[in-house]
Amino acid sequence: MTQQKPLPDSYYQLMEQIQAVDFVLVELTLYLDTHPHDLEAIKQFNQAAYESRQLKNQFEEQFGPLMQYGQSYSSYPWNWKEAPWPWQV
Amino acid sequence: MTFTLTKCYSPFVSKFDPCKPVLTKCYSTPPNLYIEFQPNNTEQFPTAKEALYAGTLWPCLYDPYYSKRGESSG
Repeated sequence: MTQQKPLPDSYYQLMEQIQAVDFVLVELTLYLDTHPHDLEAIKQFNQAAYESRQLKNQFEEQFGPLMQYGQSYSSYPWNWKEAPWPWQV
Repeated sequence: MTFTLTKCYSPFVSKFDPCKPVLTKCYSTPPNLYIEFQPNNTEQFPTAKEALYAGTLWPCLYDPYYSKRGESSG
């Protein structure tokens, strides 16, 4: 079995930040379904969406694509098959 | 918070019950039962991480949902 290179701590910290921001987005989405006129929540939602995109770009520059089918850019060579996939971590 | 997160009752125990009687049974009553319609701009957790760890964005909806395995309801 090929020796598995340990992932740097920054991988986990960045992943947790992404997870936290995405959780806020989920909560706000559900909230906005029943509160369509809440302007503050919409501003917060757009802010969080922007932040989530930023974090993901930052993550992908260092650790490769998070998503597939064009959701993320690919580096050279094509490394989607290399472990770990985000959900394996 | 003027409500409790769990409610308990004691089922009737008959002398013909074949098994050991269950004296108290409890069920969860989460905060959303007591908030009819969530008002705008309700207070939120200061950071996304805290919200993630608590499982909700709003402290008023937080329910720790303690597992019953801790206390024996025999």
